[in-house]
Amino acid sequence: MIVLGSNSDISLAFIEKVLKEGQRFPMMYLFTSNVDKTMKLANHIEAKYDQKCEIIEFDLTKKNNYQTIEHIDSDLLFCASGFLGKNTEEGLYDIENTMKIVEINYSKLIFLINFFAKKMEAKGSGTIIALSSVAGERGRQSNFIYGSAKAGFTAYLAGLRNYLFHKKVHVMTVIPGFMDTEMTADIETPKPLTAQPDQAADIIYKAYKKKRNIVYVTFVWWGIMMIIRNIPEFIFKKLKM
Amino acid sequence: MRINKSKSITNWGLYPSIKTNEYIPQSIDEYKEAISSSNKLIARGNGRCYGDASFQNDVISTKKWNKFIDFDRDRGFIEVEAGVLLSDILEASVPAGYFITVTPGTKFITVGGAIASDVHGKNHHVDGCFSEHLVYFDLMIESGEIVRCSRNDNPELFWSTIGGMGLTGVILSARFLLKKIETAYIRNEAIQAKNLDEIFKLFEESESWTYTVAWLDCLQKGDSLGKSIMLRGEHATLDEVSENIKKNPLKIKKKPKLNIPFFFPNFALNPLSIKVFNWLYFNKQLKKHVKNYVDYDQFFYPLDMVHNWNRIYGKNGFIQYQFVIPKNNGLEGMREILKTIADSGNGSFLVVLKLFGESNSKAYNSFPQPGYTLALDFKVNKGLKKLIEKLDEIVERNGGRIYRTKDAMSKPSLTNYLKNVDSTKFESIQNERINRFKKQ
Repeated sequence: MIVLGSNSDISLAFIEKVLKEGQRFPMMYLFTSNVDKTMKLANHIEAKYDQKCEIIEFDLTKKNNYQTIEHIDSDLLFCASGFLGKNTEEGLYDIENTMKIVEINYSKLIFLINFFAKKMEAKGSGTIIALSSVAGERGRQSNFIYGSAKAGFTAYLAGLRNYLFHKKVHVMTVIPGFMDTEMTADIETPKPLTAQPDQAADIIYKAYKKKRNIVYVTFVWWGIMMIIRNIPEFIFKKLKM
Repeated sequence: MRINKSKSITNWGLYPSIKTNEYIPQSIDEYKEAISSSNKLIARGNGRCYGDASFQNDVISTKKWNKFIDFDRDRGFIEVEAGVLLSDILEASVPAGYFITVTPGTKFITVGGAIASDVHGKNHHVDGCFSEHLVYFDLMIESGEIVRCSRNDNPELFWSTIGGMGLTGVILSARFLLKKIETAYIRNEAIQAKNLDEIFKLFEESESWTYTVAWLDCLQKGDSLGKSIMLRGEHATLDEVSENIKKNPLKIKKKPKLNIPFFFPNFALNPLSIKVFNWLYFNKQLKKHVKNYVDYDQFFYPLDMVHNWNRIYGKNGFIQYQFVIPKNNGLEGMREILKTIADSGNGSFLVVLKLFGESNSKAYNSFPQPGYTLALDFKVNKGLKKLIEKLDEIVERNGGRIYRTKDAMSKPSLTNYLKNVDSTKFESIQNERINRFKKQ
């Protein structure tokens, strides 16, 4: 199993879910930009599940050497790599912030996914599960740089799914709403709309087993986004969302 | 660090409740930060203790501190962070052929809590308390310094923290020894006892069994006072289990979980409904003596199968009352207590009787002492305080004491047995309540 964005709470919850269900892998590859933090995680997975892990230091904002990951191959890729960055008011004209958001959520990330997609295509099997965001469903004034990167990412996943379907590789897009994770620790999120990582992992796992294409964590977000997507633009632009 | 301001919390008994600031550290630095920014606080795990044991205006939650550190699958040593639940450990250890050597009646407690309460189980007379199998633990003390405590390193802090109710610091991680098992099943015997004399005799006879415990019907009077079912068990070996189990001896079937989705209304629990429940419970077995094989969940954690079972007591909650009285006063003291409860009509579903073995004199803060221990649930109502006063008086007269982990309102002289735990920073509301009495 290959995990991109290993330090995300959802990654750990999903890894644990898969291992709890009894699946084991020759190796669990944990991609991370923060090796120290991931070490603890790798240790935990090895001790609790007797599952060997290899930590791969990979920072999407830096120059990436793909030769160092040439040996990595698996039938399952889980991507929770993401960076929220500063919101519009603080970060819109901040070049570094904008670059980082676009690189981690989209531009550099799709190279990495393509790298493994190519291997899966060659084998004619595999599953790619990637987390996008409700923010990518419609550009809103509050964080549309992040939203636009996620929109691009969602479109990329949709295209990739279509392309790889004919090569027997499955691509699943996960659209989480508010999550009770470290990423949102400082943001007040409405409780009924906020999912716990374990809850999300269960939903994602079920969808993975059923080979679903697009899955919302939690279902209520499907409804919310349906409404938000369909508000006419001349009204939408006046709203403060 | 995440801080939940003025969050309402209750422990498992849902009584009492308090508003607290909950610090949720995820790194050593955040632990230090939480401790230095509060004047008075207490560590809290999964809130499965009862009463006010883990309450303070500031609590430091260990729930996110839940990673495994090491599991030596050859020798059975395991090291985990303090917020890891016993259920997490069993998930990993049982398939590897190991069981938690000493476990209480729920697997949803944290390792930190197990040490702070020095929990006991059905095998106390054989294996002692949780601490018996503890190698070391790391404790963060007031200064933010992390101290490794074992029988050799900082032994004073080691022994005062065991059963010390979190009053010495925050336990961060612990290493302990698991017990080798061949199957995930228990060879179980259930034996009906007509009254107290019979069940006491059964306990004496069953001393060689690893696990012994009795479920008691506390509303019986007269000749039937102490009517109960003794459960005794041994880890089943590979040779003795059925062919079907042999195929996958360390795996148990997933069971559907029951849930109590809402609080039962106040009138749901009354002497009559408890009588009916007890009648059903004691008559589900038709033979006097039943022998069978059950999986470890069924044997050790029957109540864990019912999610939120604490809600059956209604919104006002309940208290757990657990005491121990020395063996030589056992029979008469117990008779008096059971009579008092039966007369009050304030019955309880969950009445567990157990004979403790020798206690470890070094673990001076541990609750168990040689003698009989009884644990009961009482729904919180107007008459409860009076009943507890009466029971406390009998326990005291018979030289017994109360388990702090479950204490909510007992006479402080019965819970005032902790030593060497005085800290200005780590302090629970329970301890303050008990200390106030000391000064009077």
